[in-house]
Amino acid sequence: MGLVSQPAPYGRPAPGRQATPHAGSTTPPPAAGRGTPSPAARPLPGRRLRPAVILRHTLAWLVGLLWIVPFLGILMSALRPQAELIHGWWQLGQVTISAENFVRAWNHPTAPMGEGIRNSLLVVVPSTVLPLLIASLAAYGFLRSRARVRTPLFALIILLLAVPQQMVAIPLFRILRDLGFINSYAGLVVTHTAWALPWMIMFLRNYFATLPREVEEAALLDGAGRLQIFWHVILPLSLPGLASAAALQLTWAWNDFFMALILLYEPTRLVATQRIPLLRGQYHVDWGILTAASVLTIAVPILVFALLQRYYVRGLIGWTLK
Amino acid sequence: MATVQLHHVTKQFGDVTAVHDFSLEIDDGEFLVLVGPSGCGKSTLLRVVAGLEEVTSGEIYIDDRLVNHVAPKDRDVAMVFQNYALYPHMNVYDNLAFGLRMRRVARDEIDRRVRQAAEILGLADLLRRRPAQLSGGQRQRVALGRAIVREPKVFLMDEPLSNLDAKLRVEMRTELARLHQRLRVTTIYVTHDQTEAMTMGSRIVVMKDGRIQQVASPLELYEQPANLFVAGFIGSPPMNFVRGTLEPRDGDLWFAAAGISIRVPGALAGATAGLGGHPIVLGVRPEDILVDPERVRVLPDHRVEALVEVVEPLGADAFVHLLAGEQRLTARVPGRVKVRVGDRLTVAPDPDRIHLFDPATEQALSRAATSP
Repeated sequence: MGLVSQPAPYGRPAPGRQATPHAGSTTPPPAAGRGTPSPAARPLPGRRLRPAVILRHTLAWLVGLLWIVPFLGILMSALRPQAELIHGWWQLGQVTISAENFVRAWNHPTAPMGEGIRNSLLVVVPSTVLPLLIASLAAYGFLRSRARVRTPLFALIILLLAVPQQMVAIPLFRILRDLGFINSYAGLVVTHTAWALPWMIMFLRNYFATLPREVEEAALLDGAGRLQIFWHVILPLSLPGLASAAALQLTWAWNDFFMALILLYEPTRLVATQRIPLLRGQYHVDWGILTAASVLTIAVPILVFALLQRYYVRGLIGWTLK
Repeated sequence: MATVQLHHVTKQFGDVTAVHDFSLEIDDGEFLVLVGPSGCGKSTLLRVVAGLEEVTSGEIYIDDRLVNHVAPKDRDVAMVFQNYALYPHMNVYDNLAFGLRMRRVARDEIDRRVRQAAEILGLADLLRRRPAQLSGGQRQRVALGRAIVREPKVFLMDEPLSNLDAKLRVEMRTELARLHQRLRVTTIYVTHDQTEAMTMGSRIVVMKDGRIQQVASPLELYEQPANLFVAGFIGSPPMNFVRGTLEPRDGDLWFAAAGISIRVPGALAGATAGLGGHPIVLGVRPEDILVDPERVRVLPDHRVEALVEVVEPLGADAFVHLLAGEQRLTARVPGRVKVRVGDRLTVAPDPDRIHLFDPATEQALSRAATSP
């Protein structure tokens, strides 16, 4: 009797209770001498570099060099005439830089790369736009639908991600042949689109899920229908996510060799990646023309990467990690 | 403008009942405030009225039209969200115009209404800015503007001021009140802040655990709380509560707790009749603990001896924390009263303003209409 003076739950919070969440959120002290050096741990002027740091940097440089050397070789071979390459591209006795190999590859009599790159673009651009359109609509549906089939259907789509390309090659060829889609870009575009849909739906659904729900609800009360919300709110807010998906899909479709090999064999219709092996002569290997064709082919993904680097990397590591 | 009627509205999420059998009629042009601690179901109720959530059972009428199955956009309500929910990729003008465009309002009419709302809210110079380029208060105004341009029947506001800093919150409170005076649109306003509730609402609904605790005007809520929860929730610092028993003595009932003995005033005699020996909770607001010796002297049956433990001067007022027997009490005294820590005082709860609660039901014992 005679204990209560103030209603505890709704009055001022007890100091003990307030302290708990803070204790939980404090970051643990960094382990001394381990892990990447934080800005605070960076050596001050005059302080000596520790051997571990030097070792780490040396290793990183070595690995980096190992990665860049083959590419350097390709670039050197592409830029120098055949005569200089007989004893290896690393011989730097005489270095002549010329675009000759590129011109020869571009206008090659049997497999001109110029035509190949044009064909690749004809395939890749719709193969990126089409799945983006379909997948973004599907992803929004998966996020907001209240239908019972939503979860099993989504599980099925995740499952499709695990199907290896080689497994579907023969049935795919038969279906497209029966549909008259062999040797047509439409056939390859449909294939790329279908192949991209599962990951893109999952990717975009997860991206849309990061958008604030209230903005959609505000639009709902403002009188917008679901499609209008999708078009006026979701898509504009998702431009970074869409750019990520586009960059990844564009690179993937451009680099594809396997699907094109199955579906296109008319010589004038071959895409860029299909033409590189054809540039190898029957009796001697013309490294200059081969490497020039390779450089021409990888130029497009590199350009995409350079332009959309931020979105590309974000797409790979996931947008939800912030 | 419109009336809103809720008949036995219940909303469940799985096994959790967020709103429990809620019935209320909101008058045309009323500013109704829903207040309660977080998780009491007040936001859920607002979302149910907006149509963002479906009711589990019960009926909702807006202007006598049953809207249970009407889509949010066709209910003619506008909502202001706690985090504003502006469209980040649109400038202020487009944010305001979006709802009108979706409703295919003519272009010059949109322009007229957007500029008028911008004028009212002081946004005229900011129409080309994006939300990211605005301060919190400006964003809040855009969110309000988005509701105003629609000229809806009902405004729904979900803690619209809780993301603002303290000073701005007070300013916006006044501004909102002024806006309501001007537009007279029926408004349902949700907050967990009792000061906001008291200052803005023409009527206040106090909620707890999905149930209505009391519906009353601000003053009535303050002076006649229906139960222990309302009494403790409204008012800052909160009402003092003392647990004790009712003891019959000399033909009167006395409230008795360790170190405190007070005669139950005549106005409460009716409600306490026959409760001798029962446990009881006495409630008294800090400003109703009299410290002035002149006033205490005339209340021989209500005196309490107390030790001053802490004094918190606030300028106009001071809070004096007292120890009476085993009881801690907070008294609010005029700022100029000289009280020092360690003083022994004789204080008295104002007998006209004592509240008694049944500890079992937590309900207030009602006070007779006239006090002798």
